[in-house]
Amino acid sequence: MMIYAALAVLAGLLVGLSRQINGRLALSTSALESSFWNHFVGLFFITCIALAVGGLFAGSPGNAPWWAYLGGPIGVVFIAAGSWLIPRIGAAHTAMLIIAGQMISGVLLDIIFKAPGSTSARVIGILCILVGVWVARSPTKRGKKG
Amino acid sequence: MTDLARGTQLFHFAAAFGAGGLLTLMVLCNGTLAAHGSLFFASWVPHLTGSGVALFLLIILRPKRATPIRPPLWAYLGGISGGVTVMLTSATMNTALALSGTIALGLAGQVVFSLFADVRGLFGLPKRLPKQRDYLSLALILAGSSILIFLGGDA
Repeated sequence: MMIYAALAVLAGLLVGLSRQINGRLALSTSALESSFWNHFVGLFFITCIALAVGGLFAGSPGNAPWWAYLGGPIGVVFIAAGSWLIPRIGAAHTAMLIIAGQMISGVLLDIIFKAPGSTSARVIGILCILVGVWVARSPTKRGKKG
Repeated sequence: MTDLARGTQLFHFAAAFGAGGLLTLMVLCNGTLAAHGSLFFASWVPHLTGSGVALFLLIILRPKRATPIRPPLWAYLGGISGGVTVMLTSATMNTALALSGTIALGLAGQVVFSLFADVRGLFGLPKRLPKQRDYLSLALILAGSSILIFLGGDA
């Protein structure tokens, strides 16, 4: 159990690591180019692993709805946005605002799809996150630098 | 803080928040692929189509390079880290941790890494010291996320 918990934390660390490295590439090139290399190198890597392990086309991927194939193009914008933001607002702000946006949009999606869930937990959770985002803004007081 | 700087910060914050929304859609798409095909397929397809779309956009938009100096080779390897992430999360998702535990621990790992990266200026990005306000903000966002992850679902 502990080993799986450690692996889950490691997965999170790697998300941060990849954003940091992509951000460094964007500093020298551009956010879009950084996003391209992220996808291209990742594609090469996954292809190698999938060829070694096998089972890439297992199951019935043909049955997936057409819109399920839009994850790639969305990812291009997502990675480019992260690479563009991280040198500008820092890794911590980038990470926490992405998390905030992901959590709140996830709840909205659940509501749209009428997924069952506790309304009070959703309201309290979203309020906590929104207050957190509000706290992160730089103070407006004169003389203080953000 | 000047009004201009304030407006810029708001724009950056809104962009990052919006990117989080894109991430939700991406997870929905890739998760749906994984429900029909293999986990490899669900990661391989978005990388394939993403490479194609990004290349197409690069050719059309031709964004200027920020500097003529070549970036270090390791800066091109961010995608490997992302690929390993997919495998780790698919491995832990099916254990007692379940999806909620995997997501929550992943968020914690991400936040710890990002704080450390800022303090040290890891990989040549600007150094910045988080302020007390940032820690409070992080605590609130992680607390809210945990409430949504562990209590917000079908309990």
